[in-house]
Amino acid sequence: MADSDKPEGAGGKTPWQRLPPVAIVYFIVANVFQFVRQFIVGVSVLAYSASTYDIQGSEYFIPALITIFVATVCSGVISYWFYHYRIRDQHVEIRDGVLKRRNMNLPFWRIQNVKIERPFYYRFTQYAVLVLDTAGSAEEEAKIVALSCDDANALRQQILSAEQHKNNDESTTPMCTEDSPDAGSHLNETVINRRQLWDLILHGLTNNRVWLILGALAPFYDDIGGAFYGWIDAIGLSPEKLFPSDQVAWWQISLYVVSLMLVVFAVMASVSVAGSVITYYNYTLSRTADRYIRRSGLFSLQEVSMRQSRVQQVAIKQDWLDFLLKRANLFFEQNKTGNQQEQELHATNKLLVPSVTYDEAFILAQDALPDNRLDDISYLAISRRFLYRYFALFVLPVSCGVWAITHLEANLGVWSYLWSLVTAVGLMSVVYLRWRRWGVAFDSQYCYVRKGLVGLDKYCFALHKVQQVVISQSIFMRRRGLANIRFVLASGDVTVPFLSHKEALHMANRVLWEVESQRRSWM
Amino acid sequence: MSENLFSNDNVPSHHLPDLAELAFEPISPVYRKVNLGICVAIISVLMIMALVIRFQALISVPPPLFNASQYALVIVPLIGVLFCVYQWFADKQVMFALREQDLSLKQGLIFRRLASQPVLRIQHVELKRGPLDRLSGLAKLQVFSAGGAGHTFEIPGLPIARAQKIRQFILTHKDIGAR
Repeated sequence: MADSDKPEGAGGKTPWQRLPPVAIVYFIVANVFQFVRQFIVGVSVLAYSASTYDIQGSEYFIPALITIFVATVCSGVISYWFYHYRIRDQHVEIRDGVLKRRNMNLPFWRIQNVKIERPFYYRFTQYAVLVLDTAGSAEEEAKIVALSCDDANALRQQILSAEQHKNNDESTTPMCTEDSPDAGSHLNETVINRRQLWDLILHGLTNNRVWLILGALAPFYDDIGGAFYGWIDAIGLSPEKLFPSDQVAWWQISLYVVSLMLVVFAVMASVSVAGSVITYYNYTLSRTADRYIRRSGLFSLQEVSMRQSRVQQVAIKQDWLDFLLKRANLFFEQNKTGNQQEQELHATNKLLVPSVTYDEAFILAQDALPDNRLDDISYLAISRRFLYRYFALFVLPVSCGVWAITHLEANLGVWSYLWSLVTAVGLMSVVYLRWRRWGVAFDSQYCYVRKGLVGLDKYCFALHKVQQVVISQSIFMRRRGLANIRFVLASGDVTVPFLSHKEALHMANRVLWEVESQRRSWM
Repeated sequence: MSENLFSNDNVPSHHLPDLAELAFEPISPVYRKVNLGICVAIISVLMIMALVIRFQALISVPPPLFNASQYALVIVPLIGVLFCVYQWFADKQVMFALREQDLSLKQGLIFRRLASQPVLRIQHVELKRGPLDRLSGLAKLQVFSAGGAGHTFEIPGLPIARAQKIRQFILTHKDIGAR
């Protein structure tokens, strides 16, 4: 198989290839997932009826189970049978689908990204899934479902070098001066960042990674809930055990609530840590001549690569807990392909380096956007009127609402004033922090935007990569000479509100001039 | 790190082309008329429905619907007039400007918005014409960049001949398709 994968010398007819039989496992899993996704409602109804009626006792139970099993296996085999691919003349061709046949012809140069995935069921084989990302819609994503790891790497190499040759021919990427056809190979690959287990545990604690696990468990929520209550009961935390009589003091109830909340938080945090460790285990970020490659995973291995020149923006993001622990998440963001909404983990347009220290973040940012001044640039603050606006539109109405409820409904008297005051002060400090954080800065090459609440989010993008600039203002802002500015990048947009209109115009002029006069590629 | 074309020359700000000096052109006045027409048509249909429910005697109408129709007779024309007034003034504000290197569009009555799209970053151009556009000889020019579907730059209400000219201007621009 390895020989027939080589496109070189494939001048004449290249025969269609069938996948190795291990691909059947992939198809079975994929079909089951697709089935569950399409009939999620039906599945939950079935799960519900399973818990209400005694399905296991029914005489149809075993035959039905066998039928489902056989149908699943058959669907995998059929999908496998109808899947063919071939590689010739710098094109990947895939023919698949049973009822809806699909014929896909993908020239190497149209492939934006090559991702090698090793699902957990491939872990003990030598196979991997090669995901070819195009600039088109999500449906155009092509997968070669089972290739031996060596073949997958070799093919990736060919695709990437073909793409590079094309770009070199067109000389559209002045940022990349590497001429060697072997650029991007494993030979000159250096690891520029590693995440240790401790970093991943921190990442799990500071970021809610619960969904990484909960997403997969969705059909079993009911059972998990039952098991959880059973467990609570067993460790003696259930209300029936704690308060056997009707007469309970208020402090007992509050103690109960507090301890239950602590238990819930502890469970959530451990699930989140587990999610983080499972997905980012053994995380490495490597650098080749022109590319970043991210590898991670405890069960399923993921490998995502991104060209340096395609990085549109570097984002350093922080939650309040990150802020306290002096960590941040670093993102290299490239153009979105199509308009698919992907989870951050699977998204090829965002490359995440989880929970790095500030120093590491700035070193990585320097690597992607040379000579940037993310660490020491001073930012231009936004107008104070931002505070007034949110006071009038947000803080005042909410505080009045709190007063109305506590005074008129709950009859709290003087306390209602206190409550509304506390609400107002709380909300206003949030608005104040938001205002305080927001800032924008320019230097000769880059634009920097800072925002956040407690934690700081910093964004940096090259001026010449902007796709569109939008200045907007309401009539009130117009009267005060203020405006919002939005820079549209291929990776998304960045907005800075409440700048002086003059400043916003100046920034827009500057960016347009930079784009139009430099005529550099954004890819 | 790769060699980069780093330079740090001063940029004299008065040499920069200025968005404040754009020469804006209005879109076709027909666009406003079409929009007003649509507004009036929708209000008329709603009013006729409310009137029928209120005054017909053939079938008995459930009381809540009957009451609602009474309110509708007051509220629909009120909102309709507001919409028409808004449309009248807002559509006047839609203006565009072409420069050698970029297109700009200004719009909005309460929320003003000025968007500028460099030609260099345009991926492709489309002329869109719905049935009403075809009836009134108008076209909508859509310009797509890599900024994504949410940021499609769109000039509405252009006379078809002008829209085609602008499209041609973009297509023959030497930078189009440059990545």
